[in-house]
Amino acid sequence: MTKDHLSGEARLDEITLIRQAVNGDAASWEPLMLSHQQAVFRFAYLILGDPDEAEDVAQETFLRAWNHLNRFDSSRPLRPWLLSIASNLASNRRRSAGRHLAALTRAFRDEPGEAEIEERSAERIESDSLWQAVKNLDLADQQIIYLRYFLELPVEETAQVLSVAEGTVKSRLSRALEKLRKVIQQDFPLLVEGRNA
Amino acid sequence: MNEFENRLIDIAKGMDYPPTPDIARFVSTRLRPAKSPRLMSRKLVWSLTILLILLSSLLLIPPARAAILEIIKIGIVRIFPQPIIPTAEPIQTIKPSTATPISSMPFLETIAGKTTLEDAQNQVSFPILLPTYPADIGEPDYVFVQNADGNMTILVWLDPQNPQAVLLSLHFVPPGSWAIEKVAPTVIEETTVNGVRAIWAVGPYPLRFTNGNLEFTRIINGNVLIWADDTLTYRLETDMSLEEALKIAESLEP
Repeated sequence: MTKDHLSGEARLDEITLIRQAVNGDAASWEPLMLSHQQAVFRFAYLILGDPDEAEDVAQETFLRAWNHLNRFDSSRPLRPWLLSIASNLASNRRRSAGRHLAALTRAFRDEPGEAEIEERSAERIESDSLWQAVKNLDLADQQIIYLRYFLELPVEETAQVLSVAEGTVKSRLSRALEKLRKVIQQDFPLLVEGRNA
Repeated sequence: MNEFENRLIDIAKGMDYPPTPDIARFVSTRLRPAKSPRLMSRKLVWSLTILLILLSSLLLIPPARAAILEIIKIGIVRIFPQPIIPTAEPIQTIKPSTATPISSMPFLETIAGKTTLEDAQNQVSFPILLPTYPADIGEPDYVFVQNADGNMTILVWLDPQNPQAVLLSLHFVPPGSWAIEKVAPTVIEETTVNGVRAIWAVGPYPLRFTNGNLEFTRIINGNVLIWADDTLTYRLETDMSLEEALKIAESLEP
């Protein structure tokens, strides 16, 4: 796994775009958003489990980041900073009344649509089971697992998202994995056996 | 990385994520009109937005309509009859709310703050009123108490003809709670509930929740009756007609 998801050239481009954005150039912010919107959206989705809420959080993340770009150290990669903002917003959202209200209003607007009879692949069933297993952990453990194994961030970037030392990431991961292993063994034994079992 | 970690990554690669929305385009749309957004406070943005709407009303709207097309505030609810530039672009499209929300029940079951009517009454300082109209409405099927900088109480009745669907919800919102904002509803009608000024708003419209720090928007297709007294803002959301909603609102009793 690479230490940074961007190549050296792309990283230079990112730094240039960030500096232009810091000077108020919104057009430079757009390609940066395009580069990172998937990671931010997926991270929020993993935490919240709802695509609409994840979209809200992702939008708010980029708006906040834009508003505070002058505080960002452009020598550092942008992705961990964005994910850090998304993490805070998504965590707040989990506790907020707004979440409840939004959920309730959905009850009025939703219609059944076509029955979801799509046959899911074994891989998807397995990954969904893993997600359910991770959800049994506390939020801090969930986040570190999402960052490291779902988004495949390197330890260095994971540490930046969580504002902790790399050594702390490793020790937290170790504990989170131990808990996850127990949950899987107890409630999701098929994950242990593997899809060919 | 050990075998277990590699297996986690392998499994996680199969995650069925929803398609990533075009977030960059939406955010860019919001940023474009502001030349120096980092120098503008949220209060200033709001002030300018409100000023813009008022000026639009004065300049573009026939005098006869001007009275209704101003910013309407009832309790903690603010209604912006005209789209707010630049945030009025709908985030997503929705389908008619009259369809049966088959997914409502499981969703309602998972919402935080679910409690009983009795417990809710113990948690809040105001009397939780219940409608006596229609005669057979009975007690709510779901009761929620949520801390939105104040214990907001929400009662939900399911449609007896279709228990998968919500018939109406009634919100009791204490002062200081999150602001609820509606932007450009299809219909806004002034009315009264027991002689108190009320607003009937018909969707679809963006509904924005904000506490000053966090803000998000939803598209709502339901009809809402809003009124307030000295202590609470009331919000009755239903697919019923205004006439029926008024009967329900006026039938509230401790």
